[in-house]
Amino acid sequence: MAVPLACAAPALAAPDPVETLATTVCQACHMSDGNSVVPQFPKLAGQQATYLEKQLADFLEGRRRNEVMEPFLSQVKARDIKELAAYYAAQVPGPGVVLDPELAEAGRRIYEDGNEGAGVPGCEACHQLQGEGNVRYPRLAGQHQAYTIQEMLDFRSGQRANDKGGLMRRISERLTDEEIRAVAEYIAGL
Amino acid sequence: MKTRLLVVSLLALPVLASCAESGPPPRAEESGHGGQVWNEMEGEKLQALGAAGDAARGAITFEVCEGCHRNGGAGRVNGSYPRLAGQHAPVLIKQITDIRAGRRTNHKMVPFSGADVIGAQDIADIAAYLAAQPVTPDNGRGPGDDIERGGQLYARDCATCHGEFGKGAAARFYPRLSGQHYLYLLREARAIRNGERGNSNPEMVQAIKAYSDADLEAVSDFVSRLPPG
Repeated sequence: MAVPLACAAPALAAPDPVETLATTVCQACHMSDGNSVVPQFPKLAGQQATYLEKQLADFLEGRRRNEVMEPFLSQVKARDIKELAAYYAAQVPGPGVVLDPELAEAGRRIYEDGNEGAGVPGCEACHQLQGEGNVRYPRLAGQHQAYTIQEMLDFRSGQRANDKGGLMRRISERLTDEEIRAVAEYIAGL
Repeated sequence: MKTRLLVVSLLALPVLASCAESGPPPRAEESGHGGQVWNEMEGEKLQALGAAGDAARGAITFEVCEGCHRNGGAGRVNGSYPRLAGQHAPVLIKQITDIRAGRRTNHKMVPFSGADVIGAQDIADIAAYLAAQPVTPDNGRGPGDDIERGGQLYARDCATCHGEFGKGAAARFYPRLSGQHYLYLLREARAIRNGERGNSNPEMVQAIKAYSDADLEAVSDFVSRLPPG
């Protein structure tokens, strides 16, 4: 007589399929602990879960496009989004690295006060003084300079257009290339 | 008949219900701005005025605005962004809806006040939140070298509408001036006199159209020193 399948289950639970997704698929770029080491790929560790959920849904539904990300999307199902977001939100972010302290100081002024002449708001209002974000706005702290710069340029060109009310598109239009580099440098050290 | 309906509908607006002063806003052609009627009651302005503003929700919606207007709407001493804390809700609603409708010229503000960013309810919420914020005594003041004359000008030309202490009149959409930053007062007074603001009350334009720069400085300085509360 065959043993019922339920009785044969191992004492240890099988690996969570979503965690497996993170550690086998996402890890290639973002790393299993979300602390990506390649500057073009964003760090996800400690990112706001609400932001990750929205971005994943936007990727799956075509509101955000990225040619590097696209081949991997077929392995992400809509039902996995919430858990996958929670997984990366729960990872511990590593320390950020500032490469150019002088540039970072110029970036701090923009981050905290904006640019009054050009009508750029301070980033800290939404993304918070230490860049941790909140349930409505993403964490920026410690992000790679190259990724932040690329996203700002994509917002400015309209290549990325999934921001609330077009706010990031309008703000990025008001920033110079040098200001974008500066603020990205400051964010990297938060 | 139209005027009477306007009065009745204004009195029914919750945001105005507690105000002792009431009555129709002045209606007059503003010169040089396409002949629009000052403070025409229509569209989303009416919607926002009629909505019950939720200050707690407004605090969250105002998050974005704090990037320029600072925490609690304190504004900036250098006048680049006005203090909004303690401003009357109807005034805030009028200004926001005027800016997004293009009636008030403010290109910096336009992207942040668009209909895809905030709706009429959000505007009512923000106004309720800001109106309840304390007016603190740390606003920017003028140089203080011509205050006496500024006070005389204020008493003669401004106090009738804005009140002896600059508290404005919510029901008539006259802004509170007390606690505002000197450099912002001066900037807007210049814009109003020069016909550059876009949505100025014609009576206001009339009151200061003969003012010299020195007059504007003196009266703005006086106003910046009114008791903030």
